[in-house]
Amino acid sequence: MNKISASVFAASVATALSLVASVPASAADATKEKCYGVALKGQNDCAAGPGTTCAGTSKIDHQQNAWKLVPAGTCEAMKTPNGHGSLTQGPAPA
Amino acid sequence: MSLCTQTRFAAALADPAVAVPPGLTAWNGLQPQRRFAVYRNNVVVGLTGAIASRFPAAQTIVGEAFFSAMAAEFIRVHPPRSPLLLSYGDDFADFVERFEPANDIAYLPDVIRLEAARGKAYHAADVAPLDAAKLAALPPERLADLVFVPHPSLSILRSPHPLVTIWAMNAGEAELRSIEDWTAEDAMVARPHMTVEVRRMPPGGAVFLQALASGERLATAVEHAIENASAFDLSANLAGALQTGAFIAFH
Repeated sequence: MNKISASVFAASVATALSLVASVPASAADATKEKCYGVALKGQNDCAAGPGTTCAGTSKIDHQQNAWKLVPAGTCEAMKTPNGHGSLTQGPAPA
Repeated sequence: MSLCTQTRFAAALADPAVAVPPGLTAWNGLQPQRRFAVYRNNVVVGLTGAIASRFPAAQTIVGEAFFSAMAAEFIRVHPPRSPLLLSYGDDFADFVERFEPANDIAYLPDVIRLEAARGKAYHAADVAPLDAAKLAALPPERLADLVFVPHPSLSILRSPHPLVTIWAMNAGEAELRSIEDWTAEDAMVARPHMTVEVRRMPPGGAVFLQALASGERLATAVEHAIENASAFDLSANLAGALQTGAFIAFH
């Protein structure tokens, strides 16, 4: 069998960690943010809060606990009939 | 409506060869056959749209007309079992594998599997990936016995075709060109944060990750990987797994 000693493991893990540290974290995620309260009915991305399962399940337009991925920095500038988009989750619809 | 009536109605909706359910009337007094045909068509068009939106690269590969015809046949044989269409088409790849007109495109089922894994990752639970610094804090003698917890969004796919290259070209992620080096490619799919990531696995990488994801010790996973590919590079593979957020914890 291919037995590997603890010291070889330690060296490999150390190299792996240095490789991880040398590459910046995925830049893609920095360009999107979760924006609550701006999605139209049924057009939310994942997790519309308690009572819903996932994407496309929000019950009303601009539901405040349903979010949509939008370009970073644009969420709070979005105006809906209920006010601006929010980076924090709002209450479930009554 | 009794269950029997519903079952008969649903069967007639899915298959145009089945007669219109008895007792059906149209609001305007005309033959119900034409009204029912509209309903039938809407069901197929709606579900075809659902399938097409899950498998856009597959649609690009075969073209819209072929894809729609293939999807219509799938819908007839595999009607949805749940009102949630997020998972509708999970078995589309297995269907396409046995769908004779698509036999010439041997890599098509794997492209569909990759797209299904991307959809699954997109809708998987949000969990922060494992912080690599936690590994650094461990005493070296513990490393061989580590067992990792896979991220809920993680999928590993093995393919005899250049799967990731074909997918990337048809998903608009890479430029279309002829593939000179037609080699097998394994893929890993995960969504560590907001974006679904697809990564081409280095030699032995898929076997390594599959072993870890199924709960094998790190040392055992390395043995499997080296048996699969003698060129297996533990450092590069571990770094890749940590970067892509394949794991959320270890114990």
